[in-house]
Amino acid sequence: MASTPELLPYQRIREDLFRPLSGISRAYALTTAVAFVVGAAGLIAWGYQLRRGMGVTGLGRPVFWGFYIVDFVFWIGISHAGTLISAILRLTNAAWRKPVTRAAEAITVFALMIGGMFPIIHLGRAWLFYWLLPYPNSRLLWPNFRSPLLWDLTAIVTYMTGSVIYLYLPLIPDMAQLAEHNTPWRRKFYRALSLGWTGSDRQWHALERAMKLMACLILAVAVSVHTVVAWDFAMALAPMWHSTIFGPYFVAGAIFSGIAALILVMAALRKVLRLESYLTRRHFDNLARLLLLMSLLWLYFTVSENLTVWYGNDPKEMAVFGARTRAHYAPYFWTMVVLNFVIPFVVLGIRRLRTIANTAIAAGCVVVGMWLERFVIVVPTLANPRLASASGSYAPTWVEGAITAATFAAMVMLYMIFSKLFPIIAVWEFKPHEQEDE
Amino acid sequence: MTVYVIGEFRDTASAAQAIRLIRDHAVSGADLDVFSEEPVEFRRGVLDRPSRMSLASVLGGISFGLLSSAFIYFAQHNYRLVTGGMPVFSFWATGVITFEMTMLGAIVATFAWFLWESGLIRKRDRRAPVPEVEPGSLCLRMRCAEDEAAWASDAMRRAGAIGVQRRGES
Repeated sequence: MASTPELLPYQRIREDLFRPLSGISRAYALTTAVAFVVGAAGLIAWGYQLRRGMGVTGLGRPVFWGFYIVDFVFWIGISHAGTLISAILRLTNAAWRKPVTRAAEAITVFALMIGGMFPIIHLGRAWLFYWLLPYPNSRLLWPNFRSPLLWDLTAIVTYMTGSVIYLYLPLIPDMAQLAEHNTPWRRKFYRALSLGWTGSDRQWHALERAMKLMACLILAVAVSVHTVVAWDFAMALAPMWHSTIFGPYFVAGAIFSGIAALILVMAALRKVLRLESYLTRRHFDNLARLLLLMSLLWLYFTVSENLTVWYGNDPKEMAVFGARTRAHYAPYFWTMVVLNFVIPFVVLGIRRLRTIANTAIAAGCVVVGMWLERFVIVVPTLANPRLASASGSYAPTWVEGAITAATFAAMVMLYMIFSKLFPIIAVWEFKPHEQEDE
Repeated sequence: MTVYVIGEFRDTASAAQAIRLIRDHAVSGADLDVFSEEPVEFRRGVLDRPSRMSLASVLGGISFGLLSSAFIYFAQHNYRLVTGGMPVFSFWATGVITFEMTMLGAIVATFAWFLWESGLIRKRDRRAPVPEVEPGSLCLRMRCAEDEAAWASDAMRRAGAIGVQRRGES
């Protein structure tokens, strides 16, 4: 049985958590290489799209938003794993959060970086992305500040800034320790990033105060970001988009997919970095319960959303509802229900089945299911607009598939690099504390 | 000449006792620093470090919020779009941007204040010696005049310091 981490001596904790930073195992090299190849394939696909134009994608009238916007919403959702979960656990002073928070915060930053790329990829002429920034063009025309797309830009920039700071702050003491005994270039690197941290009480007080304040601020920003993403859809008078519950529905979905992503990452790190003594069954069990709770909340929102549409029987809304549940998109919809509710409910609801492996499987199902949910929200509505004669369909091409696959590879690669540069668990937070034992 | 007296303690209680003994001689909290590998909590009144970080955060938020609203107002009036009788500048329609900028201001101000308050960008005691702290112990550093070093060392020993050093500026 793995020993409780709080009871391990500090020296051992330090060695165990700093050990993964040195040396590269075969599994690590292989995973990074595979991720690099898939990522490179995605870059080639994007290059092809830039050269040939958006015609190489499956996008066209009336479905102008396809895989790219699905990926955008999905990754922004995944980004809620970190900062939001970490902030909630920090503010509630949950002692079990310690090995979880940094892994979660890193997911946020990487997922935001990846998600933030999609509006630029979707622009087609990516080199003109700066037109989104609030500056007047040659005719002194400013961007339309009333547009939810501009709201997105500001929300994501704010969330990104906050998340990077929120990840960076608790890294400072660890980097100061890493600067003491390391190779020369690493010493310089950590010394520069730790800004001359000495561990004085002034610094600890300032750090703790800043972390508490940042946790409060980041909570509000995280909720607002996914609400704004939901409003990209809800502010349009499109069938099954113009819904008052879209904001909270998206936020709940984002937290749901975020927890699932966190469980997957933790399970992978536990194996690859041999952190069995730190990422224990207790952590997975707590996160599994949270995932189960979010699965039920997701089901509640999904039923509320669909039941009101079905009961209202508005012909335009019913066209989309029918396409989702009975026609072309029904396989995606029902697979989504199975992956997001049926499997997690059975696997996580029965205590005997709630093992680490099963929790990771359920989390994997939820990640796929939530991607499908974004697809089911975005595409059927565009394919069935209010003007029936304008209806159409959407079939993604290899370019969109390759770019989507590359984003997952990018996530893996970024995480691999991060885990070699920084301890994936905050060492200074992990000192033995008897009072925090269960 | 300024010297530094550094005492090493095994627990927080003896360090707190040393701080009390030293502060009884009218030594300011600004001349004392405690070094440790984890955050140390003292009882209220021992070594309080009042902070204005929350105020800085609020002021940063308000400033960014107001600035962004003013900027949007200017931009909307700089090139008037045809709005069909609706207001050229609508607070509600641009409220999301104002909110996000308010939060950004608060975040940036918090971070900036953290850097300032922790001394990471304001090296007040640049030449002061930094003790090497063993895991599990903590060090109390006192800045004082040379003639005060003897009684400061004595106070630390009486409070339970396991080692006391006297060092000059490095």
